[in-house]
Amino acid sequence: MKLAVAAQRYGADINGGAELHARYIAERLSRHADVEVVTTCARDYVTWKNERPEGVEQVNGIPVRRFPVTHERDPNHFGRLSRRVFDQPHSIADEIAWLESEGPASPAMIDYLERSSSQFDFILLFSYRYYHAWHGARRVPSKALLVPTAERDAAIGLGIFGPTFRGVRAVMYNSHEERAMIHAATRNEEVPGVVVGVGSDIPARTDSERFRRKHNLRKPFAIYVGRIDENKGCKELFDFFLRYANTFPRGLDLVLIGSAIIPIPQHPRIHHLGFLPDDDKFDAIAASDLLIMPSYFESLSMVALEAWALGRPVLANGRCDVLKGQCIRSGAGLYYERYEEFAETLYALESNGPLHARLGRNGRDYFTQHYTWPVIERKYLDMFDRLKREDASGARRRVESIGGWFARRQRSQPAAAEVLAKIPSTAVVPGSRSAGNLSRSA
Amino acid sequence: MTDFSIRSDNVDVEQIMRQIRARIREKRGVDYTEEEIRELANVKLEKFLDPRGVRSDLLEQFRRKREASLPPNFKFEDTTLFETHRGLLAFIRRLLRPILKLFFNPNPLIDALHIQSKLNAQQAALEPLYYEVIHNLVLETTRLGIDVKNLKMRVESMSSRLDFDERRARALEGVVQYRPGAVAPLQPPSGGGDSREARGPESPEQSERRNRRRRRRGRRRPDDRTGAMGPQGAMGARSARGATSAEGATSAEGAAPAPEAERVPSESGYSSDRGLTPGGQSDDRGLTPVHRDPDGEPSES
Repeated sequence: MKLAVAAQRYGADINGGAELHARYIAERLSRHADVEVVTTCARDYVTWKNERPEGVEQVNGIPVRRFPVTHERDPNHFGRLSRRVFDQPHSIADEIAWLESEGPASPAMIDYLERSSSQFDFILLFSYRYYHAWHGARRVPSKALLVPTAERDAAIGLGIFGPTFRGVRAVMYNSHEERAMIHAATRNEEVPGVVVGVGSDIPARTDSERFRRKHNLRKPFAIYVGRIDENKGCKELFDFFLRYANTFPRGLDLVLIGSAIIPIPQHPRIHHLGFLPDDDKFDAIAASDLLIMPSYFESLSMVALEAWALGRPVLANGRCDVLKGQCIRSGAGLYYERYEEFAETLYALESNGPLHARLGRNGRDYFTQHYTWPVIERKYLDMFDRLKREDASGARRRVESIGGWFARRQRSQPAAAEVLAKIPSTAVVPGSRSAGNLSRSA
Repeated sequence: MTDFSIRSDNVDVEQIMRQIRARIREKRGVDYTEEEIRELANVKLEKFLDPRGVRSDLLEQFRRKREASLPPNFKFEDTTLFETHRGLLAFIRRLLRPILKLFFNPNPLIDALHIQSKLNAQQAALEPLYYEVIHNLVLETTRLGIDVKNLKMRVESMSSRLDFDERRARALEGVVQYRPGAVAPLQPPSGGGDSREARGPESPEQSERRNRRRRRRGRRRPDDRTGAMGPQGAMGARSARGATSAEGATSAEGAAPAPEAERVPSESGYSSDRGLTPGGQSDDRGLTPVHRDPDGEPSES
């Protein structure tokens, strides 16, 4: 079997969520099939500047074929188009212009996928909202499997994505909440889909003492791992934690790992350690009492899975339905929506030993059952088998047309933010209506 | 007070969250979200605040007045008086300006209007700030009003509980009966001429009467501080602390080895020290939280 993995960026040094996800999946599937990665020369997800050489290189034993991006992103132009398509009634042409402006626009990459599609059994397209995934799915729908990595943002309400989700061979979801949201937005229930997510290379042993010694951390602490950014909920986290620290002077410290985009408050109980290599990161999580995940929008939090794998409970932002759903389904984390809940839940995890121990154990079990690599690989392989059987039976998929020149220019599309607002945001938990096939595809 | 404990392998996170929310509601009295407080601040302040203090529609009035009374600012420069879009007219005006100055000096007028224009601009820049300050003040006043109301309710509830407890204590004192052998007999003071031995054996009723008299006497002595602050008071305090620590870390340390979940502070680790809750409004016991080491073991921070 030969597979192509198409991602917007790719590299051992790229740690963006979807890109890392793509790399992990490519490396894991390479044990079962010939995998070729098709990507751009870009390294920066804001500018999409061509920084890597065009052509083929090997990354961790996988051939990676890079294509140049035709233009960098103009933030002003992109901002204007975003406001138009997200906040105002607009046309399909506006949405296509928005997609082009968002980038990374690489027609050569799409041409290659179409030209060489006959060589591949399947093409895995990562991140639905980018140029390569939309054009790739339209050019080679009969081979395309989409890994949407969709967050709850207005882009899911754009009209151009509906035909894509309905036209691909299969969709590999990250979470039940993501699937429910995409179903509600695009009505693609007929398309084969499975909730897979992604595993993580958890080390067999961690050394929390070494980490504590190295960074001179003696007191118990909660940890946050990721980009320290307002979009990730860090501003609210700082606000809540400072209030908590003032109310409760002898409670947990807060350790932050990741590059800082926003200023970090100077406080003796907040320690910023910057970006750390993976070994240190796992030691840090193992040394912590719990992981705090303050993000509002996640399609899947890999670091939360890593914390669960290491037996650490998670305190998540309850406004992110994915994290909330995972906490409930796993029985391995609590969640908050405002300060009072943050303080109470953090205090509960800090002081209630049996609760902490039980949540930690549940997290480990949850990770083992759903997110270890054999489980993930099996889900992908099962989906490939299923699609091959469909191929044998002659079933084919077509992507719907988006209309002719005039149709595309009619202001017929509602503001994407309005569409998103109509999509219910709820955690999918056993017993809820949206959890109908929870057990089947967990 | 709603508490939760972990007794089985199944943890229902939703149930725990419900209990935590109930606990927050109980602590705060009425549970308002930020949005609700904003709504209250904007709409119906008089229901929650003393209407003599703050006008309920203050914000609305301020906003309306501001929008209604904002004329466009007129930028006034030295050429403004003579400006025109017609080129010929501008030329004639420039030509005749020296003649105009023969009649009066327009410069002070121009200066004054220029300054006025600047003042107007400054005022316009300050108004949003005033608006914001007033908005925040009203919001905080609303919040404080709600807090005061809740605190009043709590004080009332506590005072009624206190009354009840006092009545109960008095009632219990009234029904205490002396049982021979239940309590070790009090040793008489040495050398007292009115010792019990000297008076011979007494009946249980007599003994009970004497004990009551003694208790009353002890209560009447206002200068006898040892009764309240002495060994018994200190012991009381110490035992209270001991009780908490027994529920908390100490019991875990003192207990025989047990499964991990049972070695940690206690099932009531969250509930036993309810005064310590992070909301912290009611705690003044100076207790410390129980921390676990990374493996879930308890330790004092």
